[in-house]
Amino acid sequence: MKSLYLTFHVYLAFARKSFQKQMQYRVANLAGLTTNFFFLLVQVFVYIAFYKASTEPQPLSIDDIITYFVLCQASLMLMPLWGGREIADTIKNGSVALQLTKPVDFQTYWFVDECGRAYYYLFMRGLPTFLISNLFFTVTIPQQPSVLLAFAVSMVLAIFMSAAITITIFSTAFWTLDTTGISGIAASVITFFSGMLVPIALWPEWLAHIAGWLPFGGLIDIPFSIYLGKLAGIEIWIAIGKQTAWCLFFMGFGRVLLSRGFSRLVIQGG
Amino acid sequence: MHHLSLYLHFVKLRIRSQMEYRLSFIVELFAQASISVIDFFMIALLFNRFKQLAGWSLWEVGFLYGMIGICFAVAEMIGRGFDAFEKNIVRGDFDTILIRPLGTFYQVFANEFLLRRLGRIAQALVVLLIANSQLSVQWSLTKVGYLLISLMSGTCFFIGLFVIAATSCFWTVQSIEVINIFTHGGVFMGSYPFSIYRWWFRHFFTFIVPLACVNYFPALFLLGKIESLGVSPIGVQLAPFAGFLFLGITMLFWRWGVLHYQSTGH
Repeated sequence: MKSLYLTFHVYLAFARKSFQKQMQYRVANLAGLTTNFFFLLVQVFVYIAFYKASTEPQPLSIDDIITYFVLCQASLMLMPLWGGREIADTIKNGSVALQLTKPVDFQTYWFVDECGRAYYYLFMRGLPTFLISNLFFTVTIPQQPSVLLAFAVSMVLAIFMSAAITITIFSTAFWTLDTTGISGIAASVITFFSGMLVPIALWPEWLAHIAGWLPFGGLIDIPFSIYLGKLAGIEIWIAIGKQTAWCLFFMGFGRVLLSRGFSRLVIQGG
Repeated sequence: MHHLSLYLHFVKLRIRSQMEYRLSFIVELFAQASISVIDFFMIALLFNRFKQLAGWSLWEVGFLYGMIGICFAVAEMIGRGFDAFEKNIVRGDFDTILIRPLGTFYQVFANEFLLRRLGRIAQALVVLLIANSQLSVQWSLTKVGYLLISLMSGTCFFIGLFVIAATSCFWTVQSIEVINIFTHGGVFMGSYPFSIYRWWFRHFFTFIVPLACVNYFPALFLLGKIESLGVSPIGVQLAPFAGFLFLGITMLFWRWGVLHYQSTGH
């Protein structure tokens, strides 16, 4: 029991370190905040214009849409592949060898590192984006504590899933060294199928169906649908179960990939 | 003339060095294209549900999207020297540029060429061509010339933005990230008709940062939409020149910035 506590303590320290590392880039964060807000503004203009022209009833009201995109911009930096380039770098420059000699699990280390980064952006980017948006737009806030609780759980799972995906994708550096191409393609597929660009509720049925079979809705679509109250009762449990399952899948898949990678790892020089 | 042949020589060298990593080049070309295909697919999804946007059809918006996409990708391809200028200051490389017997602006411009933006250019061009085949634009020699001038003007506009970001490095060392609002943000907002934005937003992006002049107004003219909006036709026809003017002003800013250069390294 004590050893378990110690292990937990060590990884918590790593996560905290990662959080502090991000603190250095305060000006960059401010610039990012401005950029986030600009994109949000344009998105809102576009959707207001679309809604104005349409008389048909839509699955999401314009207030829902605005809230949805406020949440999207607020959690943009929590998405996969924004961080994690360091993982590929350690493999490329060989410092991975040093890391493997330490009594620390490689995947867990990067997982908590990613989580630390995510929590930094949740509080330093997400929260300000959300608060500032409240001054300009009508942002819905759920009234029931149970909805808020489910949203919080779902959001944490989204962060975990994002970290697991990031590690999996950057660990391809064992094979390709240059991960720019593969991470670029992955980022575009993930962004699209998460529902970040256009809410999945507005997609044609066949495409929404495909998205339902893919894991990426767990990053955006599921937590925000819970937030907006579009999922209720048992649906919330199913959605959270889905997120958990995909999370475990990516953790397992990443682990297999990494162990394959370690076995073929050749370090130059030394 | 000498400058031009030297430039072409530089470009040839850049292309050769980028083709050294052929596989990674091809993968990235593909990545670029796939990212932008999804980008346009998103707009198509919205039109599939809402049918029209402020009186614009999908392919009219596609026309806007293609134009701005080409301009930005070409600007990124040839204006890379300014886009990636930060490292010259951080490493102190700008000292070398200063002692060579050529203008600084020319050298930084000729320093880089990003061939892999071809993927993005191709995608935007395909969208523009498909849009054109779906619309009935009466093409004449004047209109083709006008389109080409508009595209060049838009490219100049984006290069001008890169120049502003690069020049700011003389003071801030690191590039100002806020410029992303105008570059990437500009592409995003330029993909939709300007009439959907609030008046203060529209005015800012017409008179201060002339994005509308290189994209929206030319498209209005080419698609024959001027009459419906009550904008002065002469103003619309002259609008593309704002892009060239913008680049000219940023070049003056550059010249002024160079005077304030303080070396970081060595």
